[in-house]
Amino acid sequence: MTFYEKQTDPSSPMHWLGDMQADYLYPNGKAGDKLFKHIKENDTFLASKCINCSKIFFPPRLYCEDCFVEILEKDWFEIPSTGKIRLHTIVTINTYGEKLNEPKMIALIDIDNTDGALLGIIKTDNIDENLIGRKVEAVFKSKNQREGTLKDILYFKMR
Amino acid sequence: MTKKVAVVGVGYTDFNSMTPEVSWKEFMYEACQKAYIDAGVDPREDIDSFITCSEDYWEGFSIFDEFVPDQIGAVLRPCCTVCGDGLYGLGNAYMQIKTGKMNIVAVEAHSKISDLLTFGDIGLFSYDPIFDRPVTGSVDRTHFAGIPSYEKNSPKPLVGKTNEKERIHPYFLAGLEMQNFLRKTGTTEEQCAKVVVKNKKNAFNNPNAEYEVNITIEDVMNSEYLFKPIKKLDISLNVDGAIAFVLASEEAVKKLDVEPIWLRGFGWSSETPWISTRSMDANYAMLASRMAYKMTDINNPRKEIDFAEVDDRFSYKELQHLEALGLAESGEAGKMLDSGDLDLNGSLPTNISGGSLGIGNCFEATGLQKALEVVIQLRGHGGKRQIEDVHTGISQSWRGIPSGSGAVAIFGR
Ligand SMILES: [Zn+2]
Repeated sequence: MTFYEKQTDPSSPMHWLGDMQADYLYPNGKAGDKLFKHIKENDTFLASKCINCSKIFFPPRLYCEDCFVEILEKDWFEIPSTGKIRLHTIVTINTYGEKLNEPKMIALIDIDNTDGALLGIIKTDNIDENLIGRKVEAVFKSKNQREGTLKDILYFKMR
Repeated sequence: MTKKVAVVGVGYTDFNSMTPEVSWKEFMYEACQKAYIDAGVDPREDIDSFITCSEDYWEGFSIFDEFVPDQIGAVLRPCCTVCGDGLYGLGNAYMQIKTGKMNIVAVEAHSKISDLLTFGDIGLFSYDPIFDRPVTGSVDRTHFAGIPSYEKNSPKPLVGKTNEKERIHPYFLAGLEMQNFLRKTGTTEEQCAKVVVKNKKNAFNNPNAEYEVNITIEDVMNSEYLFKPIKKLDISLNVDGAIAFVLASEEAVKKLDVEPIWLRGFGWSSETPWISTRSMDANYAMLASRMAYKMTDINNPRKEIDFAEVDDRFSYKELQHLEALGLAESGEAGKMLDSGDLDLNGSLPTNISGGSLGIGNCFEATGLQKALEVVIQLRGHGGKRQIEDVHTGISQSWRGIPSGSGAVAIFGR
Protein backbone atom coordinates (compact mmCIF):
# COMPACT_ATOMS: atom_id res chain seq x y z
CA MET A 1 0.00 0.00 0.00
CA THR A 2 1.46 3.31 -1.05
CA PHE A 3 -0.72 5.47 1.14
CA TYR A 4 0.42 7.42 4.14
CA GLU A 5 -2.02 5.68 6.43
CA LYS A 6 -3.80 2.36 6.27
CA GLN A 7 -7.14 1.18 7.55
CA THR A 8 -6.68 -0.91 10.66
CA ASP A 9 -10.23 -0.82 12.00
CA PRO A 10 -12.25 -3.53 10.24
CA SER A 11 -15.54 -1.87 11.08
CA SER A 12 -14.63 1.45 9.50
CA PRO A 13 -14.82 0.92 5.69
CA MET A 14 -17.98 2.53 4.39
CA HIS A 15 -19.67 2.03 1.06
CA TRP A 16 -22.59 3.07 -1.03
CA LEU A 17 -24.85 0.28 -2.21
CA GLY A 18 -25.52 0.60 -5.93
CA ASP A 19 -28.49 -0.95 -7.63
CA MET A 20 -27.78 -0.64 -11.31
CA GLN A 21 -30.88 -1.56 -13.28
CA ALA A 22 -30.14 -3.01 -16.67
CA ASP A 23 -33.18 -4.00 -18.68
CA TYR A 24 -32.91 -4.20 -22.43
CA LEU A 25 -35.16 -4.93 -25.32
CA TYR A 26 -33.01 -7.13 -27.53
CA PRO A 27 -34.34 -7.25 -31.10
CA ASN A 28 -34.26 -10.76 -32.52
CA GLY A 29 -32.85 -9.31 -35.74
CA LYS A 30 -34.18 -10.09 -39.19
CA ALA A 31 -32.87 -13.65 -39.19
CA GLY A 32 -33.98 -14.33 -35.63
CA ASP A 33 -37.41 -12.82 -36.28
CA LYS A 34 -37.95 -15.12 -39.22
CA LEU A 35 -36.85 -18.16 -37.21
CA PHE A 36 -38.96 -17.41 -34.16
CA LYS A 37 -42.07 -16.51 -36.18
CA HIS A 38 -41.66 -19.91 -37.81
CA ILE A 39 -41.20 -21.69 -34.47
CA LYS A 40 -44.32 -19.99 -33.13
CA GLU A 41 -46.41 -21.78 -35.75
CA ASN A 42 -44.41 -24.95 -36.42
CA ASP A 43 -42.57 -27.73 -34.60
CA THR A 44 -39.64 -27.46 -36.99
CA PHE A 45 -36.64 -25.14 -37.41
CA LEU A 46 -35.27 -23.02 -40.26
CA ALA A 47 -31.69 -22.98 -41.49
CA SER A 48 -29.80 -20.82 -44.00
CA LYS A 49 -27.03 -21.91 -46.37
CA CYS A 50 -24.06 -19.98 -47.70
CA ILE A 51 -23.91 -20.54 -51.48
CA ASN A 52 -20.20 -19.75 -51.45
CA CYS A 53 -18.98 -22.41 -48.99
CA SER A 54 -22.16 -24.49 -48.49
CA LYS A 55 -22.04 -24.04 -44.72
CA ILE A 56 -25.52 -24.44 -43.28
CA PHE A 57 -26.26 -22.17 -40.35
CA PHE A 58 -28.52 -22.94 -37.45
CA PRO A 59 -29.62 -20.64 -35.96
CA PRO A 60 -30.03 -19.20 -39.47
CA ARG A 61 -28.13 -16.02 -40.32
CA LEU A 62 -28.24 -13.31 -42.95
CA TYR A 63 -24.53 -13.60 -43.72
CA CYS A 64 -21.77 -16.19 -43.69
CA GLU A 65 -19.14 -15.62 -41.03
CA ASP A 66 -16.52 -17.53 -43.01
CA CYS A 67 -17.01 -15.91 -46.43
CA PHE A 68 -18.51 -12.58 -45.33
CA VAL A 69 -21.20 -12.79 -48.00
CA GLU A 70 -24.95 -12.37 -47.72
CA ILE A 71 -27.28 -15.34 -47.54
CA LEU A 72 -30.40 -14.72 -49.63
CA GLU A 73 -33.97 -15.66 -48.85
CA LYS A 74 -33.96 -18.45 -51.44
CA ASP A 75 -31.23 -20.22 -49.49
CA TRP A 76 -33.36 -20.63 -46.36
CA PHE A 77 -35.13 -23.92 -45.80
CA GLU A 78 -37.04 -25.92 -43.23
CA ILE A 79 -35.27 -28.55 -41.12
CA PRO A 80 -36.51 -30.97 -38.47
CA SER A 81 -36.14 -29.91 -34.83
CA THR A 82 -33.88 -32.85 -34.09
CA GLY A 83 -30.21 -33.33 -33.42
CA LYS A 84 -27.45 -35.25 -31.73
CA ILE A 85 -25.83 -34.50 -28.37
CA ARG A 86 -22.20 -33.43 -28.90
CA LEU A 87 -21.40 -32.49 -25.29
CA HIS A 88 -23.27 -32.25 -22.03
CA THR A 89 -22.76 -30.98 -18.50
CA ILE A 90 -24.77 -31.18 -15.31
CA VAL A 91 -25.25 -27.85 -13.56
CA THR A 92 -25.93 -27.93 -9.84
CA ILE A 93 -25.68 -24.26 -8.78
CA ASN A 94 -27.47 -21.03 -9.58
CA THR A 95 -25.96 -17.61 -10.26
CA TYR A 96 -25.42 -17.07 -6.52
CA GLY A 97 -23.60 -20.36 -6.11
CA GLU A 98 -26.57 -21.89 -4.29
CA LYS A 99 -27.92 -25.37 -5.05
CA LEU A 100 -30.57 -25.54 -7.75
CA ASN A 101 -33.81 -27.29 -6.79
CA GLU A 102 -32.62 -30.11 -8.99
CA PRO A 103 -29.53 -30.49 -11.22
CA LYS A 104 -30.00 -29.45 -14.85
CA MET A 105 -28.42 -31.13 -17.83
CA ILE A 106 -27.34 -28.62 -20.48
CA ALA A 107 -26.14 -29.99 -23.80
CA LEU A 108 -24.56 -28.69 -26.96
CA ILE A 109 -26.74 -30.28 -29.62
CA ASP A 110 -25.61 -30.61 -33.25
CA ILE A 111 -28.77 -29.83 -35.18
CA ASP A 112 -29.53 -32.36 -37.94
CA ASN A 113 -28.89 -31.35 -41.57
CA THR A 114 -26.89 -28.28 -40.51
CA ASP A 115 -23.39 -27.22 -39.45
CA GLY A 116 -24.83 -25.46 -36.41
CA ALA A 117 -25.49 -26.37 -32.82
CA LEU A 118 -27.77 -25.16 -30.06
CA LEU A 119 -27.56 -25.14 -26.27
CA GLY A 120 -30.51 -27.04 -24.89
CA ILE A 121 -31.87 -28.46 -21.66
CA ILE A 122 -32.01 -32.28 -21.71
CA LYS A 123 -34.74 -34.09 -19.84
CA THR A 124 -33.65 -37.61 -18.96
CA ASP A 125 -34.45 -40.16 -16.29
CA ASN A 126 -30.83 -40.93 -15.54
CA ILE A 127 -28.84 -37.70 -15.39
CA ASP A 128 -25.53 -39.50 -14.76
CA GLU A 129 -25.70 -41.49 -18.00
CA ASN A 130 -23.28 -40.66 -20.80
CA LEU A 131 -25.53 -39.30 -23.54
CA ILE A 132 -22.93 -38.20 -26.06
CA GLY A 133 -24.02 -39.05 -29.59
CA ARG A 134 -27.62 -39.70 -28.59
CA LYS A 135 -30.41 -38.49 -30.88
CA VAL A 136 -32.76 -35.91 -29.41
CA GLU A 137 -35.78 -33.90 -30.48
CA ALA A 138 -37.13 -30.56 -29.30
CA VAL A 139 -40.22 -30.45 -27.12
CA PHE A 140 -42.15 -27.23 -27.67
CA LYS A 141 -44.71 -25.33 -25.64
CA SER A 142 -48.25 -25.78 -26.88
CA LYS A 143 -48.81 -23.47 -29.85
CA ASN A 144 -51.17 -21.07 -28.08
CA GLN A 145 -48.54 -20.43 -25.40
CA ARG A 146 -45.60 -19.68 -27.67
CA GLU A 147 -44.14 -16.16 -27.60
CA GLY A 148 -41.62 -16.29 -30.41
CA THR A 149 -38.49 -16.75 -28.30
CA LEU A 150 -36.05 -19.59 -27.67
CA LYS A 151 -38.12 -20.36 -24.59
CA ASP A 152 -40.76 -21.82 -26.86
CA ILE A 153 -38.49 -24.87 -26.77
CA LEU A 154 -39.10 -26.35 -23.34
CA TYR A 155 -36.34 -28.96 -23.52
CA PHE A 156 -34.96 -31.77 -25.66
CA LYS A 157 -35.90 -35.43 -25.15
CA MET A 158 -34.39 -38.70 -26.36
CA ARG A 159 -35.69 -39.97 -29.66
CA MET B 1 11.47 3.86 -35.98
CA THR B 2 12.35 2.12 -32.76
CA LYS B 3 13.17 -1.53 -33.26
CA LYS B 4 12.63 -2.89 -29.80
CA VAL B 5 10.18 -2.31 -26.96
CA ALA B 6 10.92 -3.18 -23.35
CA VAL B 7 9.14 -3.51 -20.04
CA VAL B 8 10.92 -1.01 -17.80
CA GLY B 9 8.63 -0.99 -14.80
CA VAL B 10 6.05 -3.15 -13.06
CA GLY B 11 3.83 -2.40 -10.09
CA TYR B 12 1.17 -4.47 -8.41
CA THR B 13 -1.00 -4.62 -5.35
CA ASP B 14 -1.36 -7.63 -3.15
CA PHE B 15 -4.04 -10.05 -4.36
CA ASN B 16 -6.90 -10.34 -1.88
CA SER B 17 -10.27 -12.05 -1.87
CA MET B 18 -11.81 -8.71 -0.95
CA THR B 19 -10.59 -5.16 -0.49
CA PRO B 20 -13.34 -3.13 1.14
CA GLU B 21 -10.84 -0.68 2.61
CA VAL B 22 -9.88 0.88 -0.74
CA SER B 23 -11.81 2.21 -3.71
CA TRP B 24 -11.01 0.87 -7.17
CA LYS B 25 -9.36 4.23 -7.92
CA GLU B 26 -6.99 4.02 -4.97
CA PHE B 27 -6.26 0.45 -5.95
CA MET B 28 -5.21 1.53 -9.44
CA TYR B 29 -3.18 4.42 -8.00
CA GLU B 30 -1.21 2.01 -5.84
CA ALA B 31 -0.24 -0.26 -8.74
CA CYS B 32 0.64 2.65 -11.03
CA GLN B 33 2.66 4.51 -8.41
CA LYS B 34 4.69 1.37 -7.80
CA ALA B 35 5.28 0.81 -11.52
CA TYR B 36 6.36 4.41 -12.10
CA ILE B 37 8.80 4.30 -9.20
CA ASP B 38 10.09 0.93 -10.40
CA ALA B 39 10.77 2.45 -13.84
CA GLY B 40 12.03 5.73 -12.39
CA VAL B 41 9.60 7.83 -14.41
CA ASP B 42 7.33 10.75 -13.57
CA PRO B 43 3.95 10.14 -15.19
CA ARG B 44 3.27 13.86 -15.44
CA GLU B 45 6.48 14.44 -17.42
CA ASP B 46 7.83 11.25 -18.92
CA ILE B 47 4.93 9.00 -19.90
CA ASP B 48 3.53 9.78 -23.34
CA SER B 49 0.40 7.66 -23.30
CA PHE B 50 -1.74 5.67 -20.85
CA ILE B 51 -3.80 2.55 -21.49
CA THR B 52 -6.22 0.90 -19.07
CA CYS B 53 -8.01 -2.40 -19.66
CA SER B 54 -11.49 -2.87 -18.33
CA GLU B 55 -15.05 -3.99 -18.82
CA ASP B 56 -17.85 -1.64 -17.72
CA TYR B 57 -20.07 -4.37 -16.33
CA TRP B 58 -17.37 -5.68 -13.98
CA GLU B 59 -16.80 -2.15 -12.71
CA GLY B 60 -20.42 -1.22 -12.23
CA PHE B 61 -20.49 2.07 -14.12
CA SER B 62 -20.55 3.22 -17.71
CA ILE B 63 -17.73 4.68 -19.77
CA PHE B 64 -14.92 3.41 -17.57
CA ASP B 65 -12.30 5.28 -19.63
CA GLU B 66 -13.76 8.60 -18.48
CA PHE B 67 -12.99 7.70 -14.87
CA VAL B 68 -9.33 6.80 -15.15
CA PRO B 69 -7.01 9.70 -15.87
CA ASP B 70 -6.61 11.05 -12.33
CA GLN B 71 -5.53 7.90 -10.49
CA ILE B 72 -2.94 6.90 -13.08
CA GLY B 73 -1.34 10.31 -13.65
CA ALA B 74 -2.96 10.83 -17.03
CA VAL B 75 -5.08 13.98 -16.65
CA LEU B 76 -5.00 15.99 -19.89
CA ARG B 77 -2.75 13.41 -21.55
CA PRO B 78 -3.32 10.78 -24.26
CA CYS B 79 -5.36 8.10 -22.49
CA CYS B 80 -7.61 5.30 -23.62
CA THR B 81 -9.22 2.07 -22.42
CA VAL B 82 -9.06 -1.30 -24.11
CA CYS B 83 -12.21 -3.25 -23.41
CA GLY B 84 -10.36 -6.50 -22.86
CA ASP B 85 -7.69 -8.43 -21.03
CA GLY B 86 -4.53 -6.64 -19.91
CA LEU B 87 -2.37 -8.38 -22.52
CA TYR B 88 -4.38 -6.58 -25.21
CA GLY B 89 -3.37 -3.33 -23.51
CA LEU B 90 0.25 -4.44 -23.61
CA GLY B 91 -0.03 -5.13 -27.35
CA ASN B 92 -1.57 -1.72 -27.91
CA ALA B 93 1.23 -0.06 -25.96
CA TYR B 94 3.75 -1.94 -28.09
CA MET B 95 2.12 -0.67 -31.28
CA GLN B 96 1.92 2.90 -30.01
CA ILE B 97 5.65 2.87 -29.28
CA LYS B 98 6.39 1.31 -32.67
CA THR B 99 4.75 4.30 -34.37
CA GLY B 100 7.62 6.41 -33.11
CA LYS B 101 5.16 8.94 -31.68
CA MET B 102 5.35 7.57 -28.14
CA ASN B 103 8.48 6.70 -26.19
CA ILE B 104 7.06 5.58 -22.86
CA VAL B 105 3.58 4.10 -22.40
CA ALA B 106 1.84 2.86 -19.24
CA VAL B 107 -0.65 -0.04 -19.14
CA GLU B 108 -2.96 -0.87 -16.24
CA ALA B 109 -5.50 -3.64 -15.57
CA HIS B 110 -7.21 -4.70 -12.38
CA SER B 111 -9.91 -6.74 -10.75
CA LYS B 112 -12.12 -5.21 -8.08
CA ILE B 113 -14.57 -8.04 -8.54
CA SER B 114 -15.45 -8.24 -4.84
CA ASP B 115 -17.35 -4.97 -5.33
CA LEU B 116 -19.79 -6.86 -7.57
CA LEU B 117 -22.64 -8.43 -5.61
CA THR B 118 -24.32 -10.22 -8.52
CA PHE B 119 -21.33 -11.84 -10.21
CA GLY B 120 -23.20 -14.82 -11.64
CA ASP B 121 -25.91 -12.69 -13.20
CA ILE B 122 -23.44 -10.25 -14.74
CA GLY B 123 -21.66 -13.31 -16.10
CA LEU B 124 -24.85 -14.36 -17.85
CA PHE B 125 -24.89 -10.96 -19.56
CA SER B 126 -21.98 -12.16 -21.65
CA TYR B 127 -24.12 -14.81 -23.33
CA ASP B 128 -26.05 -14.01 -26.51
CA PRO B 129 -29.42 -12.70 -25.27
CA ILE B 130 -31.49 -14.23 -28.08
CA PHE B 131 -29.93 -17.62 -28.76
CA ASP B 132 -27.98 -18.64 -25.63
CA ARG B 133 -29.19 -16.82 -22.55
CA PRO B 134 -32.76 -18.17 -22.48
CA VAL B 135 -31.42 -21.69 -21.84
CA THR B 136 -29.93 -20.46 -18.55
CA GLY B 137 -33.41 -19.62 -17.34
CA SER B 138 -32.74 -15.90 -17.12
CA VAL B 139 -35.36 -13.16 -16.93
CA ASP B 140 -38.57 -15.09 -16.73
CA ARG B 141 -40.99 -12.20 -16.47
CA THR B 142 -44.55 -12.04 -17.60
CA HIS B 143 -43.80 -9.62 -20.42
CA PHE B 144 -40.65 -11.35 -21.56
CA ALA B 145 -41.27 -10.63 -25.22
CA GLY B 146 -42.30 -7.04 -24.62
CA ILE B 147 -41.30 -4.08 -22.47
CA PRO B 148 -40.06 -5.19 -19.03
CA SER B 149 -42.45 -4.23 -16.31
CA TYR B 150 -42.26 -4.55 -12.56
CA GLU B 151 -45.65 -5.54 -11.31
CA LYS B 152 -46.84 -7.31 -8.25
CA ASN B 153 -46.21 -10.75 -9.68
CA SER B 154 -42.77 -9.85 -11.11
CA PRO B 155 -41.23 -7.30 -8.79
CA LYS B 156 -38.02 -5.39 -9.37
CA PRO B 157 -35.12 -7.53 -8.14
CA LEU B 158 -33.64 -6.50 -4.82
CA VAL B 159 -30.10 -5.20 -4.62
CA GLY B 160 -27.57 -8.01 -4.60
CA LYS B 161 -30.12 -10.75 -4.82
CA THR B 162 -33.13 -11.47 -6.95
CA ASN B 163 -35.98 -13.83 -6.35
CA GLU B 164 -34.98 -15.81 -9.42
CA LYS B 165 -33.24 -18.81 -7.90
CA GLU B 166 -33.21 -21.21 -10.82
CA ARG B 167 -30.94 -19.26 -13.16
CA ILE B 168 -27.92 -21.43 -13.79
CA HIS B 169 -24.38 -20.25 -13.14
CA PRO B 170 -22.56 -18.94 -16.24
CA TYR B 171 -19.59 -21.28 -15.79
CA PHE B 172 -21.65 -24.17 -17.21
CA LEU B 173 -20.03 -23.64 -20.62
CA ALA B 174 -16.65 -24.62 -19.16
CA GLY B 175 -18.19 -27.96 -18.24
CA LEU B 176 -19.00 -28.59 -21.91
CA GLU B 177 -15.55 -27.43 -22.98
CA MET B 178 -13.75 -29.61 -20.45
CA GLN B 179 -15.73 -32.66 -21.57
CA ASN B 180 -14.68 -31.87 -25.14
CA PHE B 181 -11.01 -31.55 -24.13
CA LEU B 182 -10.97 -34.79 -22.13
CA ARG B 183 -12.62 -36.76 -24.93
CA LYS B 184 -10.44 -35.38 -27.72
CA THR B 185 -7.10 -35.73 -25.98
CA GLY B 186 -7.58 -38.65 -23.60
CA THR B 187 -6.61 -36.39 -20.71
CA THR B 188 -8.12 -37.55 -17.41
CA GLU B 189 -9.96 -35.72 -14.63
CA GLU B 190 -7.11 -36.80 -12.33
CA GLN B 191 -4.59 -35.00 -14.50
CA CYS B 192 -6.70 -31.83 -14.34
CA ALA B 193 -6.88 -32.27 -10.56
CA LYS B 194 -3.10 -32.45 -10.54
CA VAL B 195 -2.96 -28.98 -12.14
CA VAL B 196 -4.92 -27.65 -9.16
CA VAL B 197 -2.59 -29.35 -6.67
CA LYS B 198 0.52 -28.05 -8.47
CA ASN B 199 -0.61 -24.44 -8.86
CA LYS B 200 -1.98 -24.09 -5.36
CA LYS B 201 1.30 -25.48 -4.05
CA ASN B 202 3.31 -23.10 -6.25
CA ALA B 203 1.37 -20.24 -4.71
CA PHE B 204 3.08 -20.88 -1.36
CA ASN B 205 6.20 -19.34 -2.90
CA ASN B 206 4.34 -16.27 -4.14
CA PRO B 207 3.77 -13.87 -1.23
CA ASN B 208 1.07 -12.06 -3.22
CA ALA B 209 -1.04 -15.14 -3.91
CA GLU B 210 -4.34 -15.56 -2.10
CA TYR B 211 -5.33 -19.19 -2.60
CA GLU B 212 -2.26 -21.27 -1.72
CA VAL B 213 -3.22 -24.55 -0.09
CA ASN B 214 -1.63 -27.93 0.41
CA ILE B 215 -4.10 -30.45 -1.01
CA THR B 216 -4.03 -33.79 -2.76
CA ILE B 217 -5.46 -35.07 -6.03
CA GLU B 218 -8.03 -36.97 -3.94
CA ASP B 219 -9.18 -33.72 -2.33
CA VAL B 220 -9.86 -32.27 -5.77
CA MET B 221 -11.44 -35.47 -7.07
CA ASN B 222 -13.69 -35.65 -4.02
CA SER B 223 -14.90 -32.07 -4.29
CA GLU B 224 -18.43 -31.94 -5.66
CA TYR B 225 -19.32 -31.67 -9.33
CA LEU B 226 -20.69 -28.23 -10.11
CA PHE B 227 -20.59 -28.44 -13.91
CA LYS B 228 -19.70 -32.06 -14.50
CA PRO B 229 -16.89 -32.90 -15.27
CA ILE B 230 -15.84 -29.67 -13.51
CA LYS B 231 -15.55 -29.99 -9.77
CA LYS B 232 -15.55 -27.25 -7.19
CA LEU B 233 -11.76 -27.24 -6.76
CA ASP B 234 -11.14 -27.16 -10.55
CA ILE B 235 -12.34 -23.55 -10.56
CA SER B 236 -10.19 -20.54 -9.72
CA LEU B 237 -11.76 -18.26 -7.14
CA ASN B 238 -12.21 -14.54 -7.59
CA VAL B 239 -9.58 -12.15 -6.34
CA ASP B 240 -8.98 -8.38 -6.29
CA GLY B 241 -5.70 -6.99 -7.58
CA ALA B 242 -4.25 -4.26 -9.78
CA ILE B 243 -1.20 -4.47 -12.04
CA ALA B 244 0.60 -1.75 -14.01
CA PHE B 245 3.37 -1.97 -16.61
CA VAL B 246 5.61 0.74 -18.05
CA LEU B 247 6.90 0.08 -21.57
CA ALA B 248 9.60 2.03 -23.36
CA SER B 249 11.31 2.26 -26.73
CA GLU B 250 14.90 1.10 -27.11
CA GLU B 251 16.01 4.75 -27.19
CA ALA B 252 14.09 5.63 -24.03
CA VAL B 253 15.47 2.58 -22.22
CA LYS B 254 18.98 4.00 -22.58
CA LYS B 255 18.00 7.06 -20.54
CA LEU B 256 16.46 5.01 -17.74
CA ASP B 257 18.40 3.21 -15.03
CA VAL B 258 16.64 -0.12 -15.47
CA GLU B 259 17.25 -3.64 -16.70
CA PRO B 260 14.96 -3.93 -19.72
CA ILE B 261 12.90 -7.04 -20.34
CA TRP B 262 12.12 -7.04 -24.05
CA LEU B 263 8.61 -7.63 -25.36
CA ARG B 264 9.71 -9.73 -28.30
CA GLY B 265 6.47 -11.01 -29.73
CA PHE B 266 2.76 -10.48 -29.48
CA GLY B 267 -0.35 -11.95 -31.03
CA TRP B 268 -4.07 -12.10 -30.52
CA SER B 269 -7.11 -13.80 -32.03
CA SER B 270 -10.88 -14.08 -31.60
CA GLU B 271 -13.14 -16.98 -32.45
CA THR B 272 -16.71 -16.40 -33.56
CA PRO B 273 -18.84 -15.60 -30.50
CA TRP B 274 -21.57 -17.92 -31.82
CA ILE B 275 -21.62 -21.04 -29.70
CA SER B 276 -23.53 -22.59 -32.62
CA THR B 277 -20.54 -22.61 -34.94
CA ARG B 278 -17.40 -22.17 -32.91
CA SER B 279 -14.97 -24.86 -31.94
CA MET B 280 -14.62 -25.90 -28.33
CA ASP B 281 -10.85 -26.05 -28.79
CA ALA B 282 -8.61 -23.15 -27.85
CA ASN B 283 -8.06 -22.04 -31.46
CA TYR B 284 -7.72 -18.45 -30.29
CA ALA B 285 -4.61 -19.41 -28.30
CA MET B 286 -3.20 -21.45 -31.16
CA LEU B 287 -3.55 -18.61 -33.67
CA ALA B 288 -2.38 -15.90 -31.25
CA SER B 289 0.75 -17.91 -30.44
CA ARG B 290 1.59 -18.55 -34.10
CA MET B 291 1.41 -14.81 -34.71
CA ALA B 292 3.69 -14.15 -31.74
CA TYR B 293 6.15 -16.93 -32.69
CA LYS B 294 6.47 -15.50 -36.19
CA MET B 295 7.23 -12.07 -34.81
CA THR B 296 9.77 -13.51 -32.39
CA ASP B 297 11.35 -15.82 -35.02
CA ILE B 298 10.55 -18.83 -32.90
CA ASN B 299 10.39 -22.01 -35.00
CA ASN B 300 10.45 -24.60 -32.26
CA PRO B 301 8.57 -23.21 -29.27
CA ARG B 302 9.13 -26.33 -27.17
CA LYS B 303 12.89 -25.81 -27.42
CA GLU B 304 13.10 -22.03 -27.50
CA ILE B 305 10.69 -21.18 -24.69
CA ASP B 306 12.01 -21.77 -21.19
CA PHE B 307 8.84 -21.38 -19.14
CA ALA B 308 5.15 -20.53 -19.47
CA GLU B 309 2.42 -18.66 -17.66
CA VAL B 310 -0.87 -19.67 -19.24
CA ASP B 311 -4.49 -19.11 -18.39
CA ASP B 312 -5.61 -21.70 -15.84
CA ARG B 313 -8.90 -20.27 -14.62
CA PHE B 314 -10.27 -23.79 -14.88
CA SER B 315 -7.81 -26.64 -14.29
CA TYR B 316 -8.22 -28.19 -17.76
CA LYS B 317 -7.46 -24.80 -19.34
CA GLU B 318 -3.77 -25.01 -18.41
CA LEU B 319 -3.35 -28.28 -20.29
CA GLN B 320 -5.58 -27.21 -23.18
CA HIS B 321 -3.64 -23.96 -23.56
CA LEU B 322 -0.20 -25.62 -23.42
CA GLU B 323 -1.29 -27.85 -26.30
CA ALA B 324 -2.79 -24.95 -28.26
CA LEU B 325 0.45 -23.00 -27.85
CA GLY B 326 2.39 -25.88 -29.38
CA LEU B 327 4.31 -26.42 -26.13
CA ALA B 328 2.83 -29.92 -25.94
CA GLU B 329 1.41 -32.27 -28.56
CA SER B 330 -2.31 -32.99 -28.38
CA GLY B 331 -2.88 -35.23 -25.36
CA GLU B 332 0.69 -34.76 -24.10
CA ALA B 333 0.26 -31.89 -21.63
CA GLY B 334 -1.23 -34.17 -18.97
CA LYS B 335 1.65 -36.58 -19.41
CA MET B 336 4.18 -33.75 -19.08
CA LEU B 337 2.44 -32.80 -15.86
CA ASP B 338 2.63 -36.40 -14.62
CA SER B 339 6.34 -36.64 -15.36
CA GLY B 340 7.16 -33.38 -13.59
CA ASP B 341 7.98 -31.36 -16.72
CA LEU B 342 5.71 -28.52 -15.59
CA ASP B 343 7.30 -28.22 -12.13
CA LEU B 344 9.80 -25.58 -11.04
CA ASN B 345 12.74 -27.80 -11.98
CA GLY B 346 11.04 -29.41 -14.98
CA SER B 347 11.69 -28.85 -18.67
CA LEU B 348 8.79 -26.40 -19.02
CA PRO B 349 7.94 -24.80 -15.66
CA THR B 350 4.32 -23.67 -15.96
CA ASN B 351 2.36 -21.28 -13.77
CA ILE B 352 5.12 -21.12 -11.20
CA SER B 353 3.44 -17.94 -9.94
CA GLY B 354 0.58 -20.11 -8.70
CA GLY B 355 -1.53 -19.19 -11.71
CA SER B 356 -5.12 -18.19 -11.39
CA LEU B 357 -5.84 -21.31 -9.33
CA GLY B 358 -3.26 -20.23 -6.74
CA ILE B 359 -3.40 -16.44 -6.98
CA GLY B 360 -7.06 -16.08 -7.86
CA ASN B 361 -9.07 -15.10 -10.92
CA CYS B 362 -8.22 -11.44 -11.47
CA PHE B 363 -10.41 -10.96 -14.56
CA GLU B 364 -9.09 -8.30 -16.96
CA ALA B 365 -5.79 -8.30 -15.04
CA THR B 366 -5.27 -12.03 -15.64
CA GLY B 367 -3.09 -11.56 -18.73
CA LEU B 368 -0.95 -8.96 -16.97
CA GLN B 369 -0.57 -11.31 -14.00
CA LYS B 370 0.87 -13.91 -16.41
CA ALA B 371 3.12 -11.29 -18.03
CA LEU B 372 4.16 -9.97 -14.61
CA GLU B 373 5.43 -13.40 -13.57
CA VAL B 374 7.41 -13.72 -16.80
CA VAL B 375 9.04 -10.33 -16.15
CA ILE B 376 9.78 -11.20 -12.50
CA GLN B 377 11.41 -14.47 -13.57
CA LEU B 378 13.45 -12.88 -16.37
CA ARG B 379 14.65 -10.20 -13.95
CA GLY B 380 15.71 -12.97 -11.57
CA HIS B 381 13.46 -11.61 -8.84
CA GLY B 382 11.54 -14.85 -8.29
CA GLY B 383 13.02 -15.57 -4.86
CA LYS B 384 12.10 -19.06 -3.73
CA ARG B 385 10.26 -19.70 -6.98
CA GLN B 386 13.03 -18.43 -9.28
CA ILE B 387 13.50 -20.71 -12.29
CA GLU B 388 17.14 -21.25 -13.16
CA ASP B 389 18.73 -20.02 -16.36
CA VAL B 390 15.72 -18.46 -18.12
CA HIS B 391 15.97 -16.32 -21.24
CA THR B 392 12.57 -16.54 -22.93
CA GLY B 393 9.14 -16.79 -21.35
CA ILE B 394 5.63 -16.87 -22.73
CA SER B 395 2.45 -15.45 -21.20
CA GLN B 396 -1.00 -16.25 -22.53
CA SER B 397 -4.42 -14.89 -21.72
CA TRP B 398 -7.99 -15.96 -22.37
CA ARG B 399 -10.92 -13.62 -22.03
CA GLY B 400 -12.84 -16.03 -19.77
CA ILE B 401 -16.23 -17.71 -19.99
CA PRO B 402 -17.93 -17.66 -22.48
CA SER B 403 -15.34 -16.04 -24.74
CA GLY B 404 -13.17 -17.53 -27.45
CA SER B 405 -10.57 -14.77 -27.47
CA GLY B 406 -7.04 -14.57 -26.21
CA ALA B 407 -3.59 -13.05 -26.56
CA VAL B 408 0.02 -14.15 -26.25
CA ALA B 409 3.10 -12.13 -25.32
CA ILE B 410 6.67 -13.39 -25.43
CA PHE B 411 9.39 -11.75 -23.39
CA GLY B 412 13.16 -12.12 -23.39
CA ARG B 413 16.16 -10.78 -21.58
ZN1 LIG C 1 -19.61 -19.17 -46.58
